[in-house]
Amino acid sequence: MQAPLHIDPQQAFAEMAAFQRKLAAGMQNLRGLGEQEYANTPREAVYREDKLTVWHMKGNAKPTAKVPTLIVYALVNTVWMTDLQDDRSLVRNLLEQGEDVYLIDWGYPDGADRWLTLDDYLNGYLDRAVDAVGRRHGLDAINLLGICQGGTFSLCYTAMHPEKVKNLVTMVTPVDFQTPDNMLSQWVQRMNVDLFVDTLGNVPAELMNWVYLMLKPLRLNQQKYVGLVDILDNPAELKNFLRMERWIFDSPDQAGEAFRQFIKDFYQQNKLIKGDLQIGNQPVDLGMISQPVLNIYANQDHLVPPDASRPLGRHLGTKDYTELAFKGGHIGIYVSSRAQREVAPAIHQWLQQRT
Amino acid sequence: MPDQPHDFLKDYQAFAQQSWDTWMRYLQQQPGNPSPFGGMPPTASQDDFLTRSLANLQAYGTWLQQAAGAGAGVNPMMGNWQQPTVMQPFLAAFNQPFAQTVAGIDSASAFGLDHQWNSWLQAMQRAGMSGLTGAPSQTATFGIAREMQLDQQALAAAMAEYAQINARYQALLQKVNTDGISRLQDMLAARAEPGQQIQSLKALYDLWVDAMEEAYSQMALSDEYREVFGELVNAQMRVRQMQQQQTEQMCRELGIPTRSEVDSLGKRVQQLRREMRERQRPVPQQDETLVDALQTEIADLKRELAAAKAKTKDASAVRPIKSAASTAKAPRSASSKRK
Repeated sequence: MQAPLHIDPQQAFAEMAAFQRKLAAGMQNLRGLGEQEYANTPREAVYREDKLTVWHMKGNAKPTAKVPTLIVYALVNTVWMTDLQDDRSLVRNLLEQGEDVYLIDWGYPDGADRWLTLDDYLNGYLDRAVDAVGRRHGLDAINLLGICQGGTFSLCYTAMHPEKVKNLVTMVTPVDFQTPDNMLSQWVQRMNVDLFVDTLGNVPAELMNWVYLMLKPLRLNQQKYVGLVDILDNPAELKNFLRMERWIFDSPDQAGEAFRQFIKDFYQQNKLIKGDLQIGNQPVDLGMISQPVLNIYANQDHLVPPDASRPLGRHLGTKDYTELAFKGGHIGIYVSSRAQREVAPAIHQWLQQRT
Repeated sequence: MPDQPHDFLKDYQAFAQQSWDTWMRYLQQQPGNPSPFGGMPPTASQDDFLTRSLANLQAYGTWLQQAAGAGAGVNPMMGNWQQPTVMQPFLAAFNQPFAQTVAGIDSASAFGLDHQWNSWLQAMQRAGMSGLTGAPSQTATFGIAREMQLDQQALAAAMAEYAQINARYQALLQKVNTDGISRLQDMLAARAEPGQQIQSLKALYDLWVDAMEEAYSQMALSDEYREVFGELVNAQMRVRQMQQQQTEQMCRELGIPTRSEVDSLGKRVQQLRREMRERQRPVPQQDETLVDALQTEIADLKRELAAAKAKTKDASAVRPIKSAASTAKAPRSASSKRK
């Protein structure tokens, strides 16, 4: 048996020198790069309320879909992950397929939004956003595409307002919040969320970012930046990297009351699948969802493990339930090359068959 | 004969330091030159921010030096590589990056209390209250500053509790480190065959990250971690809450609006907005039907009343007042019959 390390000392020093050389030379390429823009697909604001904006996204051709699709993103991070860069945009891919796409930009809550509840978000903002889109098309019901926490919101909304949703697509959406591999869930189980929100008010974005980095501390906080040194001499890749960094750390604070309820009811008590959930005065029963549902989850998702998404089918009232497993992670499902080829076409095909 | 690898190491270290200094000088350059971290003029706090932003790259650079230095004394082909004396220098190089990474995330976020803890200690010492900064005091309090002393004692106790729990948390992270190194050794053992061997420092580093993340993931999903993490968050919130209360007290004394007052106003405004929205909500179809029915009924009643008035006008000469009263009852009677 031989030693597993076969590192020649001279070669090791050369490797170190190369690292330092790249690091030193890389500064030239960072010079003047500034803030990287997202894809910025042409769009028009069609509804505004407080900090929320509903955007109508514009493609190169007129949509062929008869029913518009409203993208409901999570309150954490921003919706621009769906329109990150020219060649990595779920929105653009959906538009190219002929879908008519709207999306909700929740904005950045501040102290004035401290008391917004989930009822305010779902039966207030989301309901009025759905009405606004429906009115523009003369429709009583539209399609919803919910992402991550936004998927959970879309499920709750559809259960409470079934007459307003034609088809429902959920992506990387947690449904069972207490699977053994759910690290976020583990961490909040012993947390006194009342003390937490009473103390912090709104939950700072920096704190949310800290939590996400701590899910994989070395990979996300060190190895990634070691890898950056290798692309410092490639302006295109460097821009992509910086754009993703912008999105990762461009996070909104979380409205205190909504956060309190989300952690208690969903993470700590898992009420959604137990059937005990109530938003405002309305019970949320997933069994009330009789619309067609497409549930897309990512096999390597470290934020919403597949086991947290897959149980959805067992709790719905619909007979038209489709599950799609994507080979990738929580972010790769939007920005990987595979995602560009697979996700939007799959959604379009599924919607087309039901319109 | 000169010790070639070690001479090279010496040269390299000088080169690495020079590169790092250049890098930091670039990042701290004067306004006018674009900075990758924004166009603000450099300040003491910004210097600190930049240093922390790059701390992890520096940690990797330090590790490269240590690992390469350790490697210079190791014969990569020797069969006794699993002996502690052989592997220890390599493995020791891994301790620092993990600790630096976790500490870096802590201090760069709003979550770490270290800065606050130190500021509080200094403030107490400046105020001549160094007795409160040690173990939580049970000393009786009296006099005009009695309430303040009590508050400070409570805060000191909360900080001490936080420090204790934080020590438990750090111990868990240390366990992760130990377990990670052990996993790394297992992973290395599985690569002892030709073709599978590690041939670069970067490959070794990547393997270490895999091992460490595995160990961390197992710990982070454990019941023990769940307990300690929850307690850590709760303890920190208790400290923060007490600090806020003291700040509020000071603000009240100075006539400055406090955060809880602003919160209270915000809560009332939000409630009013909800009520306003509720009133603006379009009347549902069922209610509209009910309103229509009621309006029809009122119209019927008005017509009946008018007819009754017309009749009583004819008979007004006989019993005007009583007649009016009796006709007023008539529509109600008619209405109830209709129901």
